[in-house]
Amino acid sequence: MSEAIIAPPISSTGRSLRTEEMIINMGPQHPSTHGVLRLELIVDGEIVVDVVPHIGYLHRCFEKHCEHMTNYQQVIPYVDRMDYVCSMNNEFAYVVAAERLLKIQVPERVEYIRVIMAELQRIASHLIAVGTYGIDIGAFTPFLYCFRDREMILDLFEMTCGARLLYNYMWIGGLSHDIPVEFVPKAKEFCGYFRKQLRDFNDLLTYNEIFVKRTANVGLLPADVAVNFACSGPMLRGSGVNWDLRRDDPYSVYHKFDWDIAVGKGEVGPVGSCWDRHIVRMAEMEQSIRIVEQALEQIPEGDVQSAIPKRIRPNPGEVYARTESPRGELGFYIVSDGTGTPYRIKARSPGFVNLSVINEISRGSMIADLVAIIGSIDIVLGEVDR
Amino acid sequence: MEQSKVIRKKDLTLLERMYIPEILKGMRITIGQMFKPKFTVQYPEDKFVPSASFRGRPVLVEENGIERCVACGLCSRVCPALAIEVQASETVENKERYPEKFEINMLRCILCGFCEEVCPEEAIIMSNEYELVFENQKDALFAKDKLLVPIEKVQARLDFLRSHR
Repeated sequence: MSEAIIAPPISSTGRSLRTEEMIINMGPQHPSTHGVLRLELIVDGEIVVDVVPHIGYLHRCFEKHCEHMTNYQQVIPYVDRMDYVCSMNNEFAYVVAAERLLKIQVPERVEYIRVIMAELQRIASHLIAVGTYGIDIGAFTPFLYCFRDREMILDLFEMTCGARLLYNYMWIGGLSHDIPVEFVPKAKEFCGYFRKQLRDFNDLLTYNEIFVKRTANVGLLPADVAVNFACSGPMLRGSGVNWDLRRDDPYSVYHKFDWDIAVGKGEVGPVGSCWDRHIVRMAEMEQSIRIVEQALEQIPEGDVQSAIPKRIRPNPGEVYARTESPRGELGFYIVSDGTGTPYRIKARSPGFVNLSVINEISRGSMIADLVAIIGSIDIVLGEVDR
Repeated sequence: MEQSKVIRKKDLTLLERMYIPEILKGMRITIGQMFKPKFTVQYPEDKFVPSASFRGRPVLVEENGIERCVACGLCSRVCPALAIEVQASETVENKERYPEKFEINMLRCILCGFCEEVCPEEAIIMSNEYELVFENQKDALFAKDKLLVPIEKVQARLDFLRSHR
């Protein structure tokens, strides 16, 4: 299936059989479109000639809604619901933007806890990405193991802030709760456990012969195309571009930790294939564990609510802050007109931008490979549509 | 698009070609799972008991047969989903004001916990109840009769809030 990519017949010249193109709708209720994404496929037999993604089925007017809040703090529960599998990272991006707009410095302890939470959430998000990717391609077992381990992370979050999915935990200038005393030993225990688990995942899925065959030569995204389409996150790193906002546009306390950026090297096929994007996610989980372990060791004492402003009323101006979410560059552009309500909020969501390249990379592949390509982009429609 | 590349293929070793050892290797993980403790809960029969940190549905604290709420309206102001409606009235009690009508639309509530955070009287708090099922929209409007909960039932949450603020 993935051995060779056959170019579709462009015209019916020569002696080849005349073929007719057909339009097929994939989604919005298709299980492997990861939500309510509708793809309009123009196919020639089994070969995809063109893909037109239709989005908007989950549009909730997030940006317009924010303009009608009574203050900046109230946006946070809505930010949670943007990309609902990595809520902590969304909150992180929003509070970083709002704090830059307000020009406030948050205590060191807050920054450390935020980094721990964001990295744990990155693992949880990648576990979903990897598990569902397995399901898309036909491996059911890793999915259950992934969800079990994700559940342990959610238990840690529940212990801290009371919610398992939509946390409302990071507030502008601080956190809603301090971490409980038993959090640090439990998180350390999880890190040790999860390292072993990652090896199992690699044995079960990553180096599985069938999985490699289904993904290694599929959906090739060359580095220049990835850059031109403004891809970010594992999508960009899978194509061999060494770019991570945690290092290249530092925010919070990421500069204090020692970690590596996972880049696709084309271990089993050409660089930039679906397999490369998958291995980047696997490697990133390991790096996140490293960051969490270091942060748990170094976490300073202090108060987490001292810097929360009583009244959030930034001076007129604008700010764009970007952070590395599990899916790529998540940026918030906030315009303030001096009142307590944001004048305009624009979210630059990585899923939306990464999805735009799908036409480019799936042209000429089989329909079955298209499923592998969508899975490797790792979209969350809540964030694509907002 | 880049040219496709042939994936390198390793030859199988004798042990791999014997088939059975490889099957056993695969079964090792499955069999290993059988002796580990179960991770799942048989939900409707065994219920998940949340800890005090859990944010379930918001309730009003009832102390000595009367609600603590003084109907200041902060919770309805801070609610991002506009789920809370409070109508204040006067009373002869010490607190002088009480909510004549206190209604939370549970279809709107997003369980964010802002109302609990902002309440000056610790009168509205997040309970540990998570089963929110309604048969029609009217059932989802929780008035005082459904919201009031005696203080003994939510003491754990109150203690948690005092220790974590």
